[in-house]
Amino acid sequence: MANLKDIQRQIKSVTNTQKTTRAMKLVSTAKLRRAEELAKRSRLYAAKMNQVIAEIAGRIKCNKVGGIDNRCFTEIESPKTVDIVFVTADKGLCGGFNIQTIKAVKKLLAEYKEENVKVRLRGIGKKGIEFFKYNEVELFDSVANLSSKPDKERSDDFIETSIEDFKDGKIDALHIVYNGYKNMITQELHVNKILPVDTEQFECDDEPKSMLEIEAQDEEHMLDSLVNRYVQYAIYYALIDSVAAEHSARMQAMDAATNNAKDMVKSLNVEFNKARQAAITTELIEIISGVESMK
Amino acid sequence: MSNLKLEILTPNGEIYNGEALSVTLPGEEGEFGVLAEHSSLSTLLEAGVIDIEKVDKSVESILINWGVVQVDEEKVVVLVEGAVAIRGETESDVARALENAKELIDSIKDDNPAIASATARIELAAQNLI
Repeated sequence: MANLKDIQRQIKSVTNTQKTTRAMKLVSTAKLRRAEELAKRSRLYAAKMNQVIAEIAGRIKCNKVGGIDNRCFTEIESPKTVDIVFVTADKGLCGGFNIQTIKAVKKLLAEYKEENVKVRLRGIGKKGIEFFKYNEVELFDSVANLSSKPDKERSDDFIETSIEDFKDGKIDALHIVYNGYKNMITQELHVNKILPVDTEQFECDDEPKSMLEIEAQDEEHMLDSLVNRYVQYAIYYALIDSVAAEHSARMQAMDAATNNAKDMVKSLNVEFNKARQAAITTELIEIISGVESMK
Repeated sequence: MSNLKLEILTPNGEIYNGEALSVTLPGEEGEFGVLAEHSSLSTLLEAGVIDIEKVDKSVESILINWGVVQVDEEKVVVLVEGAVAIRGETESDVARALENAKELIDSIKDDNPAIASATARIELAAQNLI
């Protein structure tokens, strides 16, 4: 039978942990509300932006605008070097949130390794960076403290290298892996290919919607600027979405932790009562047998 | 003539969504106006002022720093990165909007002549509101 003092100490410690987890849950709930609001407002813009890019990509693929040979819109047959950008949280204690992203990155890495493609891994978020450093996977570069506080300027700076390198032909594809927000209780893993813009889903036999003839020269200039904004926004949106997801994951994890702590205190209390009862019984027996022997 | 449907979106949400008689946009190659049933067109916008002629004939001005517009027969969708609408119920609201707009202009940091005229135009728009 465990010592009464020991059990008492354990109960105290678990109760304290419970207090911490409950507080963390509350903090995450408040932060989630803000992050969710931001993500919601941006979602419409991101969707429209994708639509615009998709339409242009479709038009180029179907050769309705002649003479365009922009790298960002042509499928590259056998890529040699690719960029993978992943977004994880800066902090842990949020269940499987980070590890899901890391697993997806590892899977992608393995796939590319099989095809003998060189991968430049670019990390956002301390947890993912730490993981790959520990496992001695080389990171091309990384940035911390960005995923917890998304900042358009910093994310633009970060992704600039990839955009430039892609345009210069140093890399042949750009992928982004992040865990996005779906609703309060689920996160959704996104593995998106940002560059080159995916044109596969367009059927060319559609009625041409646009009547306008655009000169290749104009279009080229427009595409350049548009693609930059598109990629920048895609990364920024991934960051916003990831923050919302992180808080929802943490909220859930902390809720589960609080509940577990509650259960643990309950069972410890039962144990404590049993131990106490046993001690009392032993004492009583001692007294009674003492009295008996005096007779 | 029918009205055109106009949507102006920023990363922080919609700034305008509704019907309008016409809209004037600061295209990269010069300002252009769009009426209902305009033929399809997508182009970039540069820093400048979007003038919306609303159904009640009043004009609303929105300052933008960069954008892309997609026009088709049914509607006009404008995606902008930063935008400030010059509107408000009271004088102080308008003044505040004007203040924000000037901040946006300062952030553009460009010696483009269009910027200089944009400043003048938002001030005029604010004057008309007050």
